[in-house]
Amino acid sequence: MSSAIAQSGAAVARLLQTPAKQAVRCSRQHYLRLRAQRSPFTPALRSFSVGGRVMQKRYTEDHEWIDTSDPESATIGISTYAAKALGDVVYVELPVEGTEVSKGDAIGAVESVKSASDIMTPVSGTIVGVNNVLEEKPSTINKSPEGEGWLAKIKVTDESELSALMDAEGYRKFTEESG
Amino acid sequence: MIVWKRACRSARPSTRPLSSRRCLSQRTLDGLERPVQSYISTSRDPYLNLSIEHFLLQKSAPESTILFLYINRPSIILGRNQNPWLEVNLALLNASGHDELETEPPGLGIVDLVRRRSGGGTVFHDEGNVNWTVICPSKDFTRDKHAEMVVRALRTCSVDRARVNVRHDIVLDQGEHALCTDPEDTHSTPYQLAEADAIRPLKVSGSAYKLTRQRALHHGTCLLSSPNLNIIPDYLHSPAKPYMTARGVESVSSPVGNILLTNERFIAAVQEQFAKLYGAVDDAKDVGDEWREHSPVCKGYDELKVTDLPTTI
Repeated sequence: MSSAIAQSGAAVARLLQTPAKQAVRCSRQHYLRLRAQRSPFTPALRSFSVGGRVMQKRYTEDHEWIDTSDPESATIGISTYAAKALGDVVYVELPVEGTEVSKGDAIGAVESVKSASDIMTPVSGTIVGVNNVLEEKPSTINKSPEGEGWLAKIKVTDESELSALMDAEGYRKFTEESG
Repeated sequence: MIVWKRACRSARPSTRPLSSRRCLSQRTLDGLERPVQSYISTSRDPYLNLSIEHFLLQKSAPESTILFLYINRPSIILGRNQNPWLEVNLALLNASGHDELETEPPGLGIVDLVRRRSGGGTVFHDEGNVNWTVICPSKDFTRDKHAEMVVRALRTCSVDRARVNVRHDIVLDQGEHALCTDPEDTHSTPYQLAEADAIRPLKVSGSAYKLTRQRALHHGTCLLSSPNLNIIPDYLHSPAKPYMTARGVESVSSPVGNILLTNERFIAAVQEQFAKLYGAVDDAKDVGDEWREHSPVCKGYDELKVTDLPTTI
């Protein structure tokens, strides 16, 4: 997914990390082509209800990200910063589909360097999908933590929780300050 | 005085509903808020000790730092994401669980099989091994910090060969005194040999970690005087392993050895180094079987059992 984006359009990939007001400068035709390459359940047309959240990732202080560009369900993963800090991931515990979770609940764990690290959900909702690739190839998280290494898909129940999260620029500053 | 107090307690029936009665005193629960805490277990039950450890991780004040020391009866402790079929000689385990008289070695009797909540590999616990746990705020956590503390404790007991290795374990170097190293450096010793040398250092302590949102738990073993060193490899070698493909984290085997200190001396040295690192702390509080009745501990107790095994092999 995002790795395809990175290879076919590095400039578009950078735009995906920036606030939505800059993203609208991307060619619509190119954007639709890239969206079509993603999960078959992702509609090719942009929903009018998505508005300013299109193609925007938001981040938590615990280094998880959530991508709300798909109106059907949001995607959760861990950030590149977190993947680097964790080291080589050797096992991923995924949540169970159908589980209802509240913001901040541990929905899974990642093992690296003998450490079992909890992954917290950035928002409340219901888990509607998990990335089974990680069961066979946990190293996918290290190779593409913000793309193919996504962890789970969640049906968000309270969209106001998203506003408390950091955008990409805010997260970048946060990681620089924490060292 | 004591008799009088007991008479008073029994004379007043509790008016609180059964479900809200705590089996830990309020004083104990208040102690979880202290900035520096030290506990030592009187129980040898591995399920209970690991449940207490998890309770301390979840319920202690987020800014507190805790030392917990415990010794388990003979047991095999699997890492959180390991497959027992690959890590353990299950036939030996089940054989030692039978009621019949043991006529063949190893004759250890019942050996418990426990799945802990931290990552890492499989280890063998017995009464010659002391387990140490440090729980601290996530922001203060590094993987080596408390292994270094334990090495300093060992060095105060004249165990100069001890150091922290690249895997965050504690090893005893086996060479002659040939190098000039900084005595404060817990990652090198004068007895250290080259990596390629045929004589490998002996592992005496393995580390594992559990990291939550606000807290970091680092626990490790310490082989002091285990009588079972020669049979541990039999328990931790699975004859099924060459014939199986399975998911699960694999153990990294190392030659092991005893440090040859008493449990008491090691415990005192670790408590002293912990106090030096974090400031003076009250005497270590005993924890034991009475914690088993506290409902969060009780709930965690059963979660540690390895249930996905057949009853006979």
